[in-house]
Amino acid sequence: MGENVFLNIASWIRGFLDSLGAPLLLNDLIMMIIKASAVIVFVSLNVIWLILMERKVCAYIQCRLGPNRVGPKGTLQTIADVIKLVTKEFLVPRTADKVVFLLAPLIVFVPPALALAVVPWGDGMAAVDMNIGVFYLLAVTSLSTLIFWMGAWGSNNKYALIGGMRVVAQMVSYELPLVLALLGVIMITGTLNMSEIVEAQRNVWFIFTQPLAFLIYFIAGISETNRTPFDLVEAESEIIAGPYTEYSGMGWAMFMLTEYVSVMIISIMCTVMFFGGWLAPFGWTFLPSWFWFFFKVYLFIFLFMWIRWTYPRIRVDQLMGFGWKVLVPLSLANIFVTGIGMYVYRAIGW
Amino acid sequence: MLAQKVTVQYPDEKIELPDRFHGRFELDADKCIACMLCANACPNKVIQMERAKVGKKQYLTKYVMRIEYCMFCGLCVEACNQDALHFSKVFNMNQYFRQKVRLILVDRPVPQEEEAGEAADVKRPATEGTAGAKREVAAGRSAAKEGES
Amino acid sequence: MKTQTYFLNLGPQHPSTHGVFRVILELDGEVVVKATPVPGYLHRGVEKLAEARTYTQVIPYTDRMDYLANMLMNWGYVEAVEKLLGVEVPERAQYIRVIVGELSRIASHLIAVGSYAADIGGLTGFLYTFRDRERIVDLFEMLTGSRMTVSYFRIGGVADDLPEGFIPLLQKFLADLPGLCDEYDGLITGNEIFQARTKFVGVIPPEKAINYSLSGPNLRASGVNFDLRKNRPYGVYDRLDFEVPLGKNGDCFDRFVCRIKEMRQSGRIIQQALKNLPEGPIQAKVPKVIRPPAGEAYTEIESSKGIFGCYIVSDGSNKPYRVHFRRPSFINLGCLAELCVGWKVADVIAILGSLDIVLGEVDC
Repeated sequence: MGENVFLNIASWIRGFLDSLGAPLLLNDLIMMIIKASAVIVFVSLNVIWLILMERKVCAYIQCRLGPNRVGPKGTLQTIADVIKLVTKEFLVPRTADKVVFLLAPLIVFVPPALALAVVPWGDGMAAVDMNIGVFYLLAVTSLSTLIFWMGAWGSNNKYALIGGMRVVAQMVSYELPLVLALLGVIMITGTLNMSEIVEAQRNVWFIFTQPLAFLIYFIAGISETNRTPFDLVEAESEIIAGPYTEYSGMGWAMFMLTEYVSVMIISIMCTVMFFGGWLAPFGWTFLPSWFWFFFKVYLFIFLFMWIRWTYPRIRVDQLMGFGWKVLVPLSLANIFVTGIGMYVYRAIGW
Repeated sequence: MLAQKVTVQYPDEKIELPDRFHGRFELDADKCIACMLCANACPNKVIQMERAKVGKKQYLTKYVMRIEYCMFCGLCVEACNQDALHFSKVFNMNQYFRQKVRLILVDRPVPQEEEAGEAADVKRPATEGTAGAKREVAAGRSAAKEGES
Repeated sequence: MKTQTYFLNLGPQHPSTHGVFRVILELDGEVVVKATPVPGYLHRGVEKLAEARTYTQVIPYTDRMDYLANMLMNWGYVEAVEKLLGVEVPERAQYIRVIVGELSRIASHLIAVGSYAADIGGLTGFLYTFRDRERIVDLFEMLTGSRMTVSYFRIGGVADDLPEGFIPLLQKFLADLPGLCDEYDGLITGNEIFQARTKFVGVIPPEKAINYSLSGPNLRASGVNFDLRKNRPYGVYDRLDFEVPLGKNGDCFDRFVCRIKEMRQSGRIIQQALKNLPEGPIQAKVPKVIRPPAGEAYTEIESSKGIFGCYIVSDGSNKPYRVHFRRPSFINLGCLAELCVGWKVADVIAILGSLDIVLGEVDC
């Protein structure tokens, strides 16, 4: 039921282009652009929904109602907010480094958008099915550190500076356990292609063979997305809004959008690497694969929000200590144990 | 997540206010004897009143509360011996212009008919009384205007 | 490598200075080298204003000092005038004062607990305590007509008797209170990250606490057993049975936990006061125009933040010649500069929050 909706649309467009007599190369190029922009448009719209979801989840946790005035049950609230932000003046502080300050919100959306290109949204539904997908995704997402730092430095504000320092320290040190945790999965599957990693989980999801790696990945992921309890970067009770302190209007909104896209990427990675991607649990294949994929991703996003609205914030030295003294050794140990396990299995003829 | 929602969606549903709620003031002008107790009880001199002597009684002609200075402490209501000054449950006293914030509870002329009746009894002194009252009112009003400007 | 310290202006407009408070931090990276508190942004001159008001008219102004424990502020002032006048407050009024005073203490501590959770980063705790404080505020509204600026105390008694339906609602709240405290303990106190952030941060040893003249939960968290309600009972506190919760280490965590424990004790006190509440007048016989004899009086009560003292000099007229308030928040703030040194920016917020200041009271 609806399993091949998107694939059919894709093949229909391809057929249409063929019928126009377009050469194969041009055809491929157009398809690639259509797929990539479809993903970007979808994700941007999805962010609007995610912000609403965050506010609703937060409200329900805090015994409130959340937005409920704009549109039915407040569903149009975020759209109203976006309109407000777009019409707001974009202030540039006099002392700011204007080029860097203006460039940062422009390009901040690029790394997550690049990363989303390789995500397999369903069975055979990756915009670009790259054979080094995981590696590419990790490489691209870690770029955003630089952009946050650009914003922080360009603002020429002390709070932003502290926030920027924290961004660099945090993202660099949590990148390590993040990658090391994924290494266990990659050792087992022997591939970096995300579709193949999902396929490898047909029998058993990697959450059951690599539970420690999942935990490490999830914690480091929260840290990578700068959300509570690791939201030191924008710790509003300490440093106002960190790197975004001086941003207003759409500049600030771009940072905000990026945060939600990052949350989505981490959730997608959790789903793909540990929870069987688009594979249906218990063989419930009566629902299409992309439905299962989104279902799992949204479960993770909900988990992110739940954690955010329950936990207080950790301190910067504790954060670094936790990252280097706990997560990194644990992820190394996980790789070690995985390696031994693989040898043992191979020895008993698995 | 499962806890009860405590939000009250204000314009649609409202909380029932207790009887003692300190809202906008109400003055029962018929009960008021213009004794100035409330004005004297006020810590911020919010209450400005003008009165005229009608016969033997003080007659309230104007009662203005400078609500922008009011703390809603309730000392004036407590001071009232005649049970004339009350709190209502109206809490929305927003105004777009500062001039409109001032709460005018009573603004009325000195009653002529009653005096006419009284004047029939004792002719000369009563008329003098009204004239005097009018003069007093006029003086008070100009003083109030000076205070405002 | 040559490094340089820099100055960071924390406040006066900052989300977690609990109002308009400013701390000039000299930072080495994120570590505080020197902290200079700058209060005074909310100064309204209450003491001077009081000199131009009659004795009764000062009461509404005391509401606006510690606006979170307004009943206790009323009490502190009224107590001093009564001492000056030599008025004996009727029994029923005394008990009502204890009830509303302790309710006020709970409300104040609820805000301290909630906003401390928000300072540490967990906004949900903040919403939970405000939800429950709302019930106390509703009770006050029922009793006095105002939610925060109550002006409920009068010289020689209280303004109004308890209204119909007040006691059942209060009893329901008191029955829920231990459960609510458990909820905060579960959500905030028991959290690992919260403990990591607050334990052994900003430690005040007992000697230093006494030397800095700290009072209230800040003093008791350092292990010094001093509570005016026990040590120098005023009102009817000597007839009520309660414990004074003490801390051990004098760190931020102890100060926080002390407040939650005090809320439980306050609940106990109110329950006893309700049980013993006698019938009778609520207002002593005092003249309409209060003209205390020339002289001076100083009284102290245990406010939610510490010892709240009130010093009044009378020249025999109907207006006080001089009024001075010993505001506990202001005096507790004295140790901030020393406590912050060597800690990180995030800890400055944690320490400031644990001292539980109210700017209305600090700047008076």
